Amino acid sequence: MTVGFELDPCAKCEEVMQPFLDRILDDTERAEAERHLDKCGYCARRYRFEESLRRFVRHAAVESMPPALKQKLAALRTPL
Amino acid sequence: MSESEPRRLAEDARSRVRFEEEALELSDQVYRVARRLVSSREEAEDLMQEAYARAFRSWRSYTPGTNLRAWLLRILTNLNIDRARQRQRRPEEQPLEEGDYFLYNKLEGAQRDGNSDEERVLERLSQDDVVDALAAVPHDFRDVLVLVDIGDFTYADAAQILDIPVGTVMSRLHRARRILKRELADQVEVEA
Repeated sequence: MTVGFELDPCAKCEEVMQPFLDRILDDTERAEAERHLDKCGYCARRYRFEESLRRFVRHAAVESMPPALKQKLAALRTPL
Repeated sequence: MSESEPRRLAEDARSRVRFEEEALELSDQVYRVARRLVSSREEAEDLMQEAYARAFRSWRSYTPGTNLRAWLLRILTNLNIDRARQRQRRPEEQPLEEGDYFLYNKLEGAQRDGNSDEERVLERLSQDDVVDALAAVPHDFRDVLVLVDIGDFTYADAAQILDIPVGTVMSRLHRARRILKRELADQVEVEA
């Protein structure tokens, strides 16, 4: 079902993008992906986009805790 | 023997106070995750209070020296899963045809000059787009995404918190990221 880098390198590169960025690919696949990314601007751009997107999501999703909630949580403590 | 009893109680109280203080110190970080597990701020606040009340009650089951943030989030995610179950929402089962390049291709295609660099493509997304898209991810997938990509937990920690195998964490995470990208693509479409 899955194709290799020799058959359809860009499809294979897309398939391994998430494990590549999560650093869980095995050495052989990682080396193959790196070789392809070195010469393929199409895939390289999409990998860089994914990295930026992950950073963007991480920052955009942060919302500080309302100060009143912290007080409510502290009030839940067992009285001494 | 009766002399040691007050000492034991005092030691017990000290341990409890230390636990409660450490748990409260982590509350900002726990909230950051909790806020994205649910769609509204009110829900997040309820969930936090319920989780902290339970944590304070069962502080003895926490092993000092282990990951307290993960322990707290395990309580919180369990409560949240119970609530979700009560609401009878079904996790999304529909097939997802889009690949991982889908969002980029879509955003780049909508760019007037085409073939622009990835930073310019990303500028088309706003913070609200991300918040809305995250809220639209079905909760089973969102839990994993929020723990790993926002809460910075490892796969192993997320597996322990959610009480699912690591393999399930990975497959849900991959799917969650794709769903998120599809939702982001939809957001951009709505705005266009």
